[in-house]
Amino acid sequence: MANLLWLQGGACSGNTMSFLNAEEPSACDLVTDFGINVLWHPSLGVELGDNLQRLLNDCVSGKTPLDIFVFEGSVVNAPNGTGEWNRFAGKPMKQWVKALSGVATFVVAIGDCATWGGIPATAPNPSESQGLQFLKRNHGGFLGKEFRSKAGLPVINIPGCPAHPDWITQIVVAVATGRGGEIGLDELQRPKTFFQSFTQTGCTRNMHFAYKVSATEFGQRKGCLYYDLGCRGPMTHSPCNRILWNRQSSKTRSGMPCLGCTEPEFPFFDLAPGTVFKTQTVMGIPKDLPTGVDKKGYIALTGAAKNAAPAWAEQDMFIV
Amino acid sequence: MATGDDSLRTMLRVMLQSGLKTKSEPRAYTSEEGLRIAARLRSLSATAFAEKLTVAGFTLSPYAPPHSEDDLSQSCETCMYYVTHRRFCELPELNVPVEKEWSCRLWRI
Repeated sequence: MANLLWLQGGACSGNTMSFLNAEEPSACDLVTDFGINVLWHPSLGVELGDNLQRLLNDCVSGKTPLDIFVFEGSVVNAPNGTGEWNRFAGKPMKQWVKALSGVATFVVAIGDCATWGGIPATAPNPSESQGLQFLKRNHGGFLGKEFRSKAGLPVINIPGCPAHPDWITQIVVAVATGRGGEIGLDELQRPKTFFQSFTQTGCTRNMHFAYKVSATEFGQRKGCLYYDLGCRGPMTHSPCNRILWNRQSSKTRSGMPCLGCTEPEFPFFDLAPGTVFKTQTVMGIPKDLPTGVDKKGYIALTGAAKNAAPAWAEQDMFIV
Repeated sequence: MATGDDSLRTMLRVMLQSGLKTKSEPRAYTSEEGLRIAARLRSLSATAFAEKLTVAGFTLSPYAPPHSEDDLSQSCETCMYYVTHRRFCELPELNVPVEKEWSCRLWRI
């Protein structure tokens, strides 16, 4: 039996909605098959008022062992570092986060807001939001870069806007079944099993990417979304085209550019007008090239690929 | 479709060879400039070919940017909107047959 507590800070509940849609395993499977005891969750918890405060205080005191502390949403520090804009169970949420992180065996940040600050931390960041252990790409965040949970691990970051349901439940199960120490993390503390590959890995448009055939409108089945529509699939780490959404599809498969939501810089370019769904260029060359590709290589590859493109690569082959 | 493309391509070539004054500079090097030119193109009728060529700044030969360290000439052939086998520009606001050595200021690789 592993006790799990889930709290929300500056959040839209998107990751909660995602979690409740999990299938492999489902949220119910966590309880029935994997012995996870959900102490409290914003959408599932029954305790209110004094009872909730008692539950939280019992975790902080150690009376109730806290095995997994899951946090969704940003840590709100406004105004002036007090955290009063986000009060919960009688005090600023940031105080609960600090106290509970200090006693938890594992701390898991779910979604962009909890990992890097996300949309709330976009400049000018009026809520003074932080992620648990990062603020955008800067290591540190609310808990500080030296933070380690009782298991000796830093915060396990599961980013995304929202995170895929199965990324959440599979990591929670790994932790609850004693395999938490085996989770390899990358330099941004994301589980490598999910975040080593690119969103592009498994994308059905890869042939159009290779032959430099561009999609020019949303929903087109032909063409790659990177060249014109701002897709960040070639430089975003996620398994969105390996572990499909709703077991069916992904953004890029349905003709919608990847927004890069598992990377700390999301939302990119601080949402300046003209930057969303449009590939940003410098003298006609993409500002952000596929990871590992330099400008000269990109230009040379484009000329060669265009020349080598077969006629079928220019057709819509997905006939219904 | 190819026959229609061919005759229209010939017509566009004749327009350009006949001295149609097109606005090949400034190039659309910023998003704002690209959006501005695309908006002007959208306001034109689909068959206003001379205006399309003018606003997009078509030339019959590749454009070589001054002071570029990339040794890159900007031609339809390397542009993201160019469909190689059909010899066609698929930028929705243009949507015209072209030749691979032509160029316009909306070029992007």
